[in-house]
Amino acid sequence: MDDIIEMKQIVKIFPPSLVALDDVSVTFRKGEIHAIVGENGAGKSTLMKILYGMQPADSGEIIYNNKRVNFADPGEAILAGIGMVHQEIMLVPQYTVWENVVLGTEPVSILDHLDSRKARQLVQEKIDEFHFNLDPDAKVEDISIAARQKVEILKLLFRNVSILIMDEPTSVLTPQEIPQLFSELKRLRDNGHTIMFISHHLDEVLELSDRITVLRKGRKIGTINSGEATKAILAQMMVGREVIFESIRKQQSAGEVIFEISGLNYTDSEKRQKLKDVHLQVQAGEIVGIAGVEGNGQLELVNVIMGLIKPQSGTITAQGREISKDSILQKRKRIAFVSQDRANMGACVPATISENAIMTHHRLNGSFTRWAGRVLDNRQIANFTSVIRQKFDVQMSSGEAVFKSLSGGNQQKVILGRELLLDAPFILLDQPTRGLDVGSIEYVHQQIMEMREKNRGMLLISADLEELFRLADRLVVMHRGKVVAELITDQTNITEVGYLMLEGMAYEA
Amino acid sequence: MKRKVLINVVGILLAFLLGALVMILQGYNPLETYFRLFEYSLGSPSKISYTLTKSVPLILTGLSASVAFASGPINLGQPGQFLMGALLATIGGLYIDMPPVLMIPFLLVLAMVGGALWSGVAALCKHFFNMSEFITTLMLNMIADFFTFWAISYPFFEENANYPQTPLIAKNGWMPDWGNFGSSVLVMLIAVAIIWFIMNRTTAGYEWRISGQNSLFSRLGGVNVNKNYILVMLLTGALAGLAGGLVVMSGPHRFIKGLGANYAWDGVMIAMVANSGVILTLLFGFFFGILQTGSLGMELITAVPRELIQVLQAVIVLIVVAGRGYFETLFAAMEAKRKMKERTT
Repeated sequence: MDDIIEMKQIVKIFPPSLVALDDVSVTFRKGEIHAIVGENGAGKSTLMKILYGMQPADSGEIIYNNKRVNFADPGEAILAGIGMVHQEIMLVPQYTVWENVVLGTEPVSILDHLDSRKARQLVQEKIDEFHFNLDPDAKVEDISIAARQKVEILKLLFRNVSILIMDEPTSVLTPQEIPQLFSELKRLRDNGHTIMFISHHLDEVLELSDRITVLRKGRKIGTINSGEATKAILAQMMVGREVIFESIRKQQSAGEVIFEISGLNYTDSEKRQKLKDVHLQVQAGEIVGIAGVEGNGQLELVNVIMGLIKPQSGTITAQGREISKDSILQKRKRIAFVSQDRANMGACVPATISENAIMTHHRLNGSFTRWAGRVLDNRQIANFTSVIRQKFDVQMSSGEAVFKSLSGGNQQKVILGRELLLDAPFILLDQPTRGLDVGSIEYVHQQIMEMREKNRGMLLISADLEELFRLADRLVVMHRGKVVAELITDQTNITEVGYLMLEGMAYEA
Repeated sequence: MKRKVLINVVGILLAFLLGALVMILQGYNPLETYFRLFEYSLGSPSKISYTLTKSVPLILTGLSASVAFASGPINLGQPGQFLMGALLATIGGLYIDMPPVLMIPFLLVLAMVGGALWSGVAALCKHFFNMSEFITTLMLNMIADFFTFWAISYPFFEENANYPQTPLIAKNGWMPDWGNFGSSVLVMLIAVAIIWFIMNRTTAGYEWRISGQNSLFSRLGGVNVNKNYILVMLLTGALAGLAGGLVVMSGPHRFIKGLGANYAWDGVMIAMVANSGVILTLLFGFFFGILQTGSLGMELITAVPRELIQVLQAVIVLIVVAGRGYFETLFAAMEAKRKMKERTT
């Protein structure tokens, strides 16, 4: 097969110092499905955005059809035949399928009047040509996510794009919808289209792609034929060492119940029941993991526990005290909280590191203030920041630097330091390693295990099953707002839990 | 720090350059005009004193807006709070008399109470009906405007006056002047010092600033965001009210129609150029005071119309505010280039 695109020695730096791509060279062949895999932050999306003209490279060149190209914006890339489907679907919900497809390149009759009949017909022809099972007159807001994704692809095909970049297309789909997407992508490939497929799900990659390029921390590790690849090889390339899928827990017996939820129901303002009669218990010295596909009530559970939203019924008890009516400050005496959303919930990004470090402590710990809590003690604050810096190994210049200037991993270390040093008996961990690099994840896991040894009780919400199996003593599976299973980690396996997450019931052979 | 100074200085210089261009186009001599402007406002110690006194309401209303913006609430009600503060201080001065040591603080407190009551109305509207202070403070400005107009036209009207105004307040309530230097400057400086301390050293100021930047984070951290909102509204109302009281007590010594017509809006503008910083508010407030005082002299001597200074003020605001964002991206890009070089060598 012929090489169609060659990306040579691409470098991209995000100020101040994040090297997103470090001398990456990849070749794409005509008519292949080429997967780009890597962990979060490996540079997959950045590489594709550079090709697509969404971001300029700081150095390097792109050869397309034997010519050097440099697209200033996606419009130019589409004209040249390269299109990208983003993770978030960008369509006009109130418009029909055909209206969305032609938007921007509408066929017009005299006086720039939209020729609807012709437009609709052209769209219908494209739908037939590619066997897309779509109704051109359906309104986009009425069709499924999978169908919307098809509309996005159709939009590009309508513009005669021959190279398709798909940025994590499966992340918005249900498991049942994925095979159909794959068969459509394969059909496109057989028609001579080239498809670049960004993903971090190894199974998908192996099933779909012809060749696989692995990126790690902005560097290219290699490109291999998928026939020669296995999950283990890819995983090792992605993380740079053999991945230990097994647990790192030491034997330890759990203590008394320190956190308990019972009969919790929450229905949102649009009358959707998000939590249905949720019961769970956490004992001192144990980690209870919540497994579930994102959007099955985890977010609401966290918000209810923290007091951001009020449940219709149910009780929350911490250390034997019913806390659901307490103020957030009252709750914080018993609950430490690490949020998955660093920028909005976990930190105040434009403030200084010290200002972020003392939040909550400034109210609960008298040593940070003088004059009956009214005036801050800057010396104590500086000391505290350096304690966090040392204990949690934070790479930073000074406590007075803005929080924003820290890398993601260091930001999370500061947040973790702040919350773990609160000395609360119960710790709520909502995806504590989201978006972190491998080294930082390892570090966060160690800290969590240390807290377990110190007899804290933890509730760990994670979208990452491997993380849950590594850390949690027990697993609670949530499906559509309900707890569908409670399992002891050592007596179950990833397949069983995965099935429960997707189907909401146990697998029956 | 150096960068911040640079951005502000560059912004001001660029604005002056633009102003000079406008003058040249209209056939005026910019150098002479600018010389007159500064000569009239800063040319001698007594002129400086006068300019300082004139800057007091600018700085205090600027401070009111700065504290509000830095802490979250968008209090745009300085004009109304200013008027209500001025009115309450005037009423106090009309009916009560005490020795100056008591009278002056008493009237100042009344002025602050007047401003705080008015911003308090907006705070209550938010608390009970979830109405945005952005809208309510603006509407309350109108109400304050006509309410004070009514008050000085009917109940507190000076008999036989041919203009809507109150009688003079008790002499014991006048702010003493030392030559051109008004004692209101001292009051203003004390207020700035207290506010600086609150914002930068106290637990409350810390919570306000963090809430202003990320309210959800502070809420989750245990901060009582609602209580702080009301406190900030009351404090910023009090600051604007204090400005109103000081203008009455050191200027006309009565509430006269049109009192402080422009000051309070300048306050919002000053807070914006100062990026809601306390010290920058003081500096920019004084600087705008220089421009406004100087514009009188400029008009007298050079025939350049005073309105040009308003244009200049607006241009400074635009350039400094826009420049802040631009310079930040510029510095970030420079940093990235430097890193690139480091890697290649």
